[in-house]
Amino acid sequence: MKLTRRDVIKAQAAATAATVAGISLPASASNIITSSKANKLTWSKAPCRFCGTGCGISVATKDGKVVATHGDEKAPVNKGLSCVKGYFLSKIMYGKDRITTPMLRKKDGVFNKEGDFTPVSWDEAFDIMEEKFKKVLKEKGPDGISMFGSGQWTVHEGYAAVKLMKAGFLSNNIDPNARHCMASAVGGFMRTFGIDEPMGCYDDMEAADAFVLWGSNMAEMHPILWTRIADRRLSNPHVKVAVLSTFEHRSFDLADIPAVFTPQTDMVLLNAIANYIIESGSVNHDFINKHVNFREGVTDIGYGLRPTHELQKKAKNPNSGASTPIDLEAFAKFVKPYTFEYAEEMSGVPAANIEKIAKLYADPKIKVMSLWTMGVNQHTRGVWTNNLLYNIHLLTGKIAEPGNSPFSLTGQPSACGTAREVGTFSHRLPADMVVKNPKHRALSEKLWKIPAGILNGKPGSHAVQQIRDLKDSKINVCWNQVNNNVQAGANINEEILPGYRNPDNFIITSDAYPTVTAEASDLILPSAMWVEKEGAFGNAERRTQVWYQLVNAPGDARSDLWQLVEFSKRFKTDEVWPAEILAANPEYKGKTLYEVLYKNGQVDNFPLSQISPDYENQESKDFGFYLQKGLFEEYASFGRGHGHDLADYDRYHKERGLRWPVVNGVETKWRFKEGSDPYVAKGTGWQFYGKKDNRAIIFALPYEPPAESPDEEFNMWLSTGRVLEHWHSGSMTQRVPELYKAFPNAVCFMHPEDAKKRGMRRGDEVKVISRRGEIRTRIETRGRNKPPVGLVFVPWFDASQLINKVTLDATDPLSKQTDYKKCAVKIEKV
Amino acid sequence: MKALTIKNAMTFAMTAVLAISSIALPLTASAEEKVIDNAPQVSTLRGTAPLNAEVTPPIIEMVENNDLKRQRDYPQQPPTIPHDISKYQLDKNFNKCMDCHSRKFADEAQAPAVSVTHYMNRDGDFLGEVSPRRYFCTQCHVHQLEGKPLVENEFVDMEKLIRQSHKQAK
Amino acid sequence: MNKIIHLLKLGWTILSKPAVHLSLGFLTISGFIAGVIFWGGFNTAMELTNTEEFCTSCHEMRDNPFMELQTTIHYSNRSGVRAICSDCHVPHNWTDKIARKMQASKEVWGKIFGTIDTREKFEAHRLQLAQNEWTRLKANDSLECRNCHQFDSMDFTRQSKRAAAQHSSALASGEKTCIDCHKGIAHKLPNMEGVREGGSPH
Repeated sequence: MKLTRRDVIKAQAAATAATVAGISLPASASNIITSSKANKLTWSKAPCRFCGTGCGISVATKDGKVVATHGDEKAPVNKGLSCVKGYFLSKIMYGKDRITTPMLRKKDGVFNKEGDFTPVSWDEAFDIMEEKFKKVLKEKGPDGISMFGSGQWTVHEGYAAVKLMKAGFLSNNIDPNARHCMASAVGGFMRTFGIDEPMGCYDDMEAADAFVLWGSNMAEMHPILWTRIADRRLSNPHVKVAVLSTFEHRSFDLADIPAVFTPQTDMVLLNAIANYIIESGSVNHDFINKHVNFREGVTDIGYGLRPTHELQKKAKNPNSGASTPIDLEAFAKFVKPYTFEYAEEMSGVPAANIEKIAKLYADPKIKVMSLWTMGVNQHTRGVWTNNLLYNIHLLTGKIAEPGNSPFSLTGQPSACGTAREVGTFSHRLPADMVVKNPKHRALSEKLWKIPAGILNGKPGSHAVQQIRDLKDSKINVCWNQVNNNVQAGANINEEILPGYRNPDNFIITSDAYPTVTAEASDLILPSAMWVEKEGAFGNAERRTQVWYQLVNAPGDARSDLWQLVEFSKRFKTDEVWPAEILAANPEYKGKTLYEVLYKNGQVDNFPLSQISPDYENQESKDFGFYLQKGLFEEYASFGRGHGHDLADYDRYHKERGLRWPVVNGVETKWRFKEGSDPYVAKGTGWQFYGKKDNRAIIFALPYEPPAESPDEEFNMWLSTGRVLEHWHSGSMTQRVPELYKAFPNAVCFMHPEDAKKRGMRRGDEVKVISRRGEIRTRIETRGRNKPPVGLVFVPWFDASQLINKVTLDATDPLSKQTDYKKCAVKIEKV
Repeated sequence: MKALTIKNAMTFAMTAVLAISSIALPLTASAEEKVIDNAPQVSTLRGTAPLNAEVTPPIIEMVENNDLKRQRDYPQQPPTIPHDISKYQLDKNFNKCMDCHSRKFADEAQAPAVSVTHYMNRDGDFLGEVSPRRYFCTQCHVHQLEGKPLVENEFVDMEKLIRQSHKQAK
Repeated sequence: MNKIIHLLKLGWTILSKPAVHLSLGFLTISGFIAGVIFWGGFNTAMELTNTEEFCTSCHEMRDNPFMELQTTIHYSNRSGVRAICSDCHVPHNWTDKIARKMQASKEVWGKIFGTIDTREKFEAHRLQLAQNEWTRLKANDSLECRNCHQFDSMDFTRQSKRAAAQHSSALASGEKTCIDCHKGIAHKLPNMEGVREGGSPH
C-alpha cells in the first residue's frame, strides 16, 4: 500500500505532462548522450541584483542567454545559499515586455506631453533631452534640472552620474532613492561616528550570543543573513533572539523574546535600556572615559513637511541637528524618567520583556548584535533612533569586536557601495565628503581635474524636495534611472503625479521595464540590466563586488552608464559653465562634457586590451577605452589613504568581494578596533577616527511623537513594507512567474478582531483611506503578518494597488527620509 | 455584488493580458477621472486603470494544491511547493515540512526527501542532520497561487539551447 | 469565621432532624422536583462553562490558545462550520464530560495561582498542556475529532491527493488516529524536540 499511493500521483503527473505536450513520451527524454561541447555551460560570478545582503551568485550562460543561477559556494556572504529571488534571477531579464527602444510621447510626429508613446531612435531621444536640458539650464540655471537614481546604480553608474550632474551641469539636484531607505542610517553614522557605514561585518553573526532586531523583518527582507542567524541560534541553545516590531512577522518564528510595540515608542524602549544600563551599574566606564563624548541634542525639530504645513510651523527648532556637550551624569539624569514601567505604559511591551532585552545589553558576558532596517530608518526620528541604538552599545563598550555589533542593514544592492560611498546624495561628494565644505570641494575639483572653485556649494534638492520642486515648477527636467518613484515615493496623488504631469516639466525615465514611473514620464529610455553590463555593487558589510558583462541587452537597450556618458557628448563647457571660470581656465573652453569628465586623461587611462577577452563590454568598446576600470580607479583615488581604501580594480574580478578599507591588499572586518583596523594606532584600543578627537558620541535625545497618529476618524495605524518574494517595486520580480504566483497582489493584513468589528472577513474588498488618498485592496486576516489590533500592514510592491497614494510624505527633519511606517488610515468596505 | 466583483476581476485580468501584447499601443479604456491624460499605454502591471484611479483588486486566489511536481527551469532551481502549506507551522518549535520531507519519513510519507545540499554547513561539510541554516524552508521554496501571471516570461531552457547546438553540429 | 461555623452547625441540625410536619409524599415529590431543578441547573451551569464566552473570559485562554485559533481553519473556513473550545477539549458523552470537568478543577487552581498568567509562562507550559490533550485524544481514538469528522463520511475524491492517500491507508486500517498527524492544527505547537524527530529544530 505504501508503495502505491505516491506512484498513482507520479503516473498522473507524467500523463498530465504528456497530454499537455500533446505527445507520447519523447524518446529524447531518456537519451542523455550529447557532445561535451553542446552540454557545456559557462559559469561566472555576479552579486545578486536584489537586497543589500550582497549574496554571491553563480550565473550560467549559454549562447548569449542566462540559463541558470544559484548561490555561489565560494561567496563568503552566502556560501552556496540564495533566497527564492536569487534562485530566480535567471528569469528577471526575460519578461516579455522588456523595453527595447526609446519611446517618446508624440502627437502628429512631434513631442507632446499629452501624446502617445512612440518608438524613437537614440538620436531623437537625446535630441529632445538635449533641447530640454539646455532650455532649462539657460532659463533657470543648474537648479532647474534634477536626476533621481538609486542604490541599484552600479558604482560606475553612480559615479558617472554624480560627475555629470555636480561637475558637469554644476547641479547638486541629484539624489538616490536610498534617501527613502538609508538616509537616516547615514545621518546616524555621521552624527555618532563622523564616518558612514557599519564598523562590524557579517562575521558577527557567527560570534554573537544574542541578536536584537529593532524594526527589521530579516526573515523576509534579508533571508540569507537570517539563515546565518538561524544557524547560530538553532545550533547553540544559549543564543537568544529578540524581535521588536510594530507587528508580528516571520522573524518572530525564531524569537525567544518577542515584543510588539506601539509605533514610535522604540525611542522610549532604547532610552529605558540606557537607563537600565546606568542604574544597574553596567556602564563600561573605562571605555566611555577613553572613547566617548556625551551631547544633548536640540528637540522639537519638526517633521520634514512643507514649511506651510501646520506641524512644521509649530516646531520650535525645525530641521535642527544642533547639540551641546554634557557628561555621563547629565545623560543619566536625562534618561532617568525612562523606567521600565513608563516604557511598558508607552510601548505596550511588558516590563519583564523589556528587562530581558536590556539584560542582553547590560550583561558584559553576552555578545550582542543589534540589527535594524526600515523600522528604524523610515522614521520621523530616524537619525535619533540610530543614535539611541549606538548609545546602548557605546555605554557598554560592546562595539567593533566580533559579536558585539550595532549593525544597520541596507535595502538596495548598492545602497552602500553606490548611493553612500560614491555620494550620489544631493549634499554629498565621494568618500563621505560634502558639497558644503570648501575643502572637500577643492579636493574633488583637483581629483576630477576641473577648474578650482567651480563646484556648487549649496546642497541640492533631496528626493522628497525634488518631487515638491517638480510640482511647484522649480525643477523642470528630471532624469530617473534605476528607480520607480511614482510607486515608491510617498503621497503619490498630492505630490508626485502633479509634478510629473505638470505641463512645464519634462520627465525622462530609464528602465528595463514599463513601470508606472515610465508611464507617467515623457521619454522612456531602454536600459540594460544586471549582467547585461559590467558593474560593481557594495553591500551592507562594506564588501565591494564586481562582475563582468555576461550577455547582451535586448534590442537597443543600453546601460545607464552608456546613457550618461553618451549624453555628456551633447554639451560644451561654454554652454554649462560660468564664463568667468572659463575665462580663467581657457584650456577647458570649447570642450564637451564628455571630454572634461570622462575622456579626461584619467578615466580613459586604461586601453581596451585590458578588458577580459572572455567577456563582452559594450560601453568600453563603444567609447574606445576600459570605461569601468577608469571610472573605478578615479573614484578610488578619493578614498585611498582616507579610511575608504579600495583595492585595484582588476583584483575585484578575481575575488568574491573585499571589505573596505583594503590596506596593503588586506580587507578590514572590524573598523575602529585596534588589531583589526589598520587605521587604529597601537595602544589605543579603539579609535573612532571619523571624529577629530577619536571619540564617538552618546546623544541625549527624548521620545517625540510621530507626525500623524490614529484618531477617531482615521482610527488605524498603517505600516507599509515588503514581502520575501518581491524586491524593489516588484518591477523585476513580478515578471518572474514563480515569484508572481507566490504573492501576486498586495493585501491589507489585519487582526481578525479588527475585521470582525468592521463586519469584514478575509478576501473582502476594502478601501484603505488616509487624508491624502485611498487604494482598493483585499483583507487578509491570516498569513505571514499578524498585526496587533489597531494596525494594518500593506506591502507596496503591487503596481495595481499603489499604497503610497495613502502614505504621508513626512520625513525625518535631519535625514529627509520618509516615514513609510506610520500614518493614520481608516478601512472601509467597498 | 459578488458576481460583479468577480466579473470586474476577470475584466481586469483580461485587459492586463491585452496590455502585455500591445506595448506602445494606446489602449482605449474608460478612465473614470482624467487627471492623468489617459489610460496606461505602456505600463503592464496595472491593467487599464489610470495612475490616479483605483480599480477592484483581483480576488485572493486559492493555493495550487494538486501535488503535481512542476518542471524546473534548471537543475539548481529550488522546486516550488505543489500543495497548500497555509496550515503548517514553521517556527523554532517545529517544522511541519520536515514531518514529510525529512529523510526519516520518506518511506512513510512518500514525499521527496530534502536533497543532499541541505545537509551542508557553511563550510561545505556534510552534517548528520539537515543544516539549521536551511531550517526555514520558505526562504527558497514557495507555494503557487492559481491564476495567470500578468506578463509572460521568455526565459529559454538550457536543454533547448543544447539541442539547438546539437542540431547545428550535425 | 465563628459565625459561619455556627450557621453551618445550625443548618446541619435542622437537616439531620426527621421531618415532623410534612408527609412522606410531599417530601418525595418535592425532593424529585428539587432534584430536577438541581439537575437541570447543574447541567445548564455546566453547559455555560462549555461556551466560548466562558472559556475566553480569562485572559490566559483569550490571549493564547483563542488568539491562535482565530487564524486557523477551525475558526473560519469555506462552509462556516466552526469549532469552539469545548468541541475539541470537552468530551460529548456525560460520564467523560464530568470526568473532564472534575479535572478542570485543577485548572481553576492554576488560574488562581497564575500558573500561566503571562505569555512566557504559557509558553513554558505549552508542551505539558499539549501533551495532556494529545494523550487524551490518542487514548480515545480522537473521539472529539470524530464527533465532526466521521471516517465513513469522508469522500476521498474530494480530498487533496496527499490527504486521500493517508486517510485511505493509515487511518482506515486503524494504524493511526487523527491526532497522530493533526497536531498543532488549532494552536501553535510547543518545541517538539524529542516528540517528533522529523520537524524538531535540533
